[in-house]
Amino acid sequence: MKLNIKNYLFALMLSVFIFNGCQDITDEYVGKKPENVKQVNITMVAKSSNNPVFLSAKIGAEAAAKDLTDKHSLLDLSISWRTPLEENPVEQAERIINAVQDGTDAIIVSCSDTDTLTKAINDAVASGIPVMTFDSDAPDSKRFSFYGPNDEKMGRTVFTELAALLNGKGKIAVLGGSLNAPNIKKRMIGVLAEAKNYPDIEIVEVVYHGETAETASAEVLRVNAEHPDLDGWAMVGGWPFFSDYLLNKLEPGKYKIVAVDALPVQLPYIEKGIVNAFLGQPTFRWGEIAVEKVIDKIFLGEEVKENYEMKLIKVTIDNLGGWSRQLRAWGYDGIPDKYILM
Amino acid sequence: MSSKANHETPSKKKLSNGQMFSYGLGSIVNNLLGGAIGFMSIVLNVGLGINPALVGTLQAIPRFTDALTDPIMGYISDKTRSRFGRRRPYIFIGAIGVGTIFALMWQLPAGHSEMFYFWFFLVGSIVFYMFYTVFATPWVALGYELTSDYHERTRLMAVMNFMGQFAWISLPWFYAIMENDRLFSNSVEGARTLAIIIGVFVAVLGIMPAIFCRESYVPPDVEKGAKKSVLAGIKENIAMFVKGLVITLKRVEFLKLCVGTFFLFNGIMLVGAFSSYITIFYVCGGDTDLGARYMGLFGTINTAATLGSIALVTWISSKLGKRRTFVLATAVTLVGSLLKWFCYDPLLPWKVLLPAPLMAVGMGGLFTLMGSMIADVCDLDELETGERREGMFGSIYWWMVKLGMALAFGLSGYLLNITGFEVDLGGAQSAATFEMMKMFDVLIPAVCAGISIYAVWKFKITEERSMEIRDELELRHAAARASKVTA
Repeated sequence: MKLNIKNYLFALMLSVFIFNGCQDITDEYVGKKPENVKQVNITMVAKSSNNPVFLSAKIGAEAAAKDLTDKHSLLDLSISWRTPLEENPVEQAERIINAVQDGTDAIIVSCSDTDTLTKAINDAVASGIPVMTFDSDAPDSKRFSFYGPNDEKMGRTVFTELAALLNGKGKIAVLGGSLNAPNIKKRMIGVLAEAKNYPDIEIVEVVYHGETAETASAEVLRVNAEHPDLDGWAMVGGWPFFSDYLLNKLEPGKYKIVAVDALPVQLPYIEKGIVNAFLGQPTFRWGEIAVEKVIDKIFLGEEVKENYEMKLIKVTIDNLGGWSRQLRAWGYDGIPDKYILM
Repeated sequence: MSSKANHETPSKKKLSNGQMFSYGLGSIVNNLLGGAIGFMSIVLNVGLGINPALVGTLQAIPRFTDALTDPIMGYISDKTRSRFGRRRPYIFIGAIGVGTIFALMWQLPAGHSEMFYFWFFLVGSIVFYMFYTVFATPWVALGYELTSDYHERTRLMAVMNFMGQFAWISLPWFYAIMENDRLFSNSVEGARTLAIIIGVFVAVLGIMPAIFCRESYVPPDVEKGAKKSVLAGIKENIAMFVKGLVITLKRVEFLKLCVGTFFLFNGIMLVGAFSSYITIFYVCGGDTDLGARYMGLFGTINTAATLGSIALVTWISSKLGKRRTFVLATAVTLVGSLLKWFCYDPLLPWKVLLPAPLMAVGMGGLFTLMGSMIADVCDLDELETGERREGMFGSIYWWMVKLGMALAFGLSGYLLNITGFEVDLGGAQSAATFEMMKMFDVLIPAVCAGISIYAVWKFKITEERSMEIRDELELRHAAARASKVTA
């Protein structure tokens, strides 16, 4: 037992054997799945597989599936990705029908159109398949739960943040999106309701557009030109910053701007000081939380609430680095190293 | 250095392999008991739904009683005269008692109120810590007196520290075992079964030092004076206890070791959680899976390096002496701590692993060398007071370690708040928050290691001085034996 080299090596080798033995026992009794394991397949139908926010949600769903499979020895969970390439509610509905026919155990869906998807969801539920929505809800359907933003509250937050930057007074414009989008409508209700609490802030114009970077940018430049005394922008979406077009068109610091979303393409606007704050959505959690709640309901038999509100993350120059690293961890590509190191 | 420096341990002073191994088994028990409640207490919240604040209270209250009973047990053990020795009877009874209580206190019946569980566990914890003290305090003292040789003491502590690491390796698995749905229907059932296994393990291994170790020091018999009343006896013992406590606390060389340990150990403990937070939320951007993998690898490297460093420190100590070796090992940890600043790199996450082996060296050396150095202080104390009080020194030393740990755990939450960390933000914390977290994580252990080095730098019991003390004590013991024979 004296710690000379021979004894020490013996003790070290013994330690290795013990560790290996423990590992073998662990693999035998803990790591391997028993024979009566329950195979569970969850079909994920997001809006568009061309959109990086949904690819991030997919990574979240797969990570949750792996964690849950590791945690519960009687569960073997897999995710089937059945998302259309482009946004298409009819195609989403078809994929839900196909998933039910193929014997999926549950469906999680982000609805491109409420009416089209409500019927598909109800049919799936009628066939005994539980459905949960994330990001974009179908509130009148028979889905058992929804995880996503409270859009009206989001609109209020956009205005509150802008009001704080303006010290409660000034002239602003509000950028909405499509008049037909239900989530945008709710955000606008929130913005305009909150505006009533700030009598010294004047809304000079409310702008709606076709929800593309080009149309949004054009509207922003037009309003700026028409209102030279404009102090700021409340934007319920991040459309003008989905391209680099405005990077050299807007003077940093001239306007106080608060906008929704904080995707990688938008981040240079924070770095340059053009945008003061983005309200980022933790898109990874769309998939992660939805999968966890499905398993709570169908495997663990736990009670699941009808609504789980997604919390927004405020992104400013102070946490640009942290947010960039978080985006990278959530599966987003193309984030410059200089942001990662901030 | 004199001719006495770097002496070879004479064979008659070498401990047998059996004694060293038996004593080391006590270390596994001691560490297991020290950590098990903390690692299993999550069941009280997750499994039984007890409020986390109450769980915190459940952990805190018994530690206060433990802090009171440790020095008292040290005193009792030091003053005990029995044909089995001053330590072994307590180790034997304590091991069986603590194993039994540990098994019983987790047999929480189902279907009761939160306050029922609170009181059930509180009473169980207080009794558990009392038996833990009955086992641990004499066991620690036994280690200081098993051998009187300067280097053999270090080797004994190295074996003890090496074997004790196995308890720390096993502890993080407890929750996974209790939660495993193939083994148990729920975590509470898991805790019940695991507690019985641990209880039996503790009782069986814990009695080994009592059975196989031999107490080398034979204390002089207590002179029988006039018969006193029970009250007078208690009063006299309290006075002697307080006097002994004061003498111990005035022993400057001992205090240097306490300060050295307090700062090195707690400096690392205080920011223990920060490394995980920074790795997960800064380096890995909030990817908990990736962060956990790196933390797991960090822990594995750290454990392997600790095991390696125990042997290395023991060998260096035989060449340089304990004080210099401690300073060297702590300096390596200081460098490792500073290195962390450059290794938190989100572009190259694997760099977080680089400081792990350096951080381990100081901790590997700490409990190997400190136990050995306290044993040297006990010799000096005997030379000056005529008493051997390993129990008192050991209990106060470990009381200080435990107090520091409790403070460190308590303060770490406040430190995290100071940084502005908000859990809802995940990886998207502000740059200022991460900078402050990194600063605390790097500077607190580094500064504490510096203070630790400063405190121990002036420790005066060198190998040479230790040999002189031992020579003098052995002459004194021989004279006492001769006068006893004459009488």
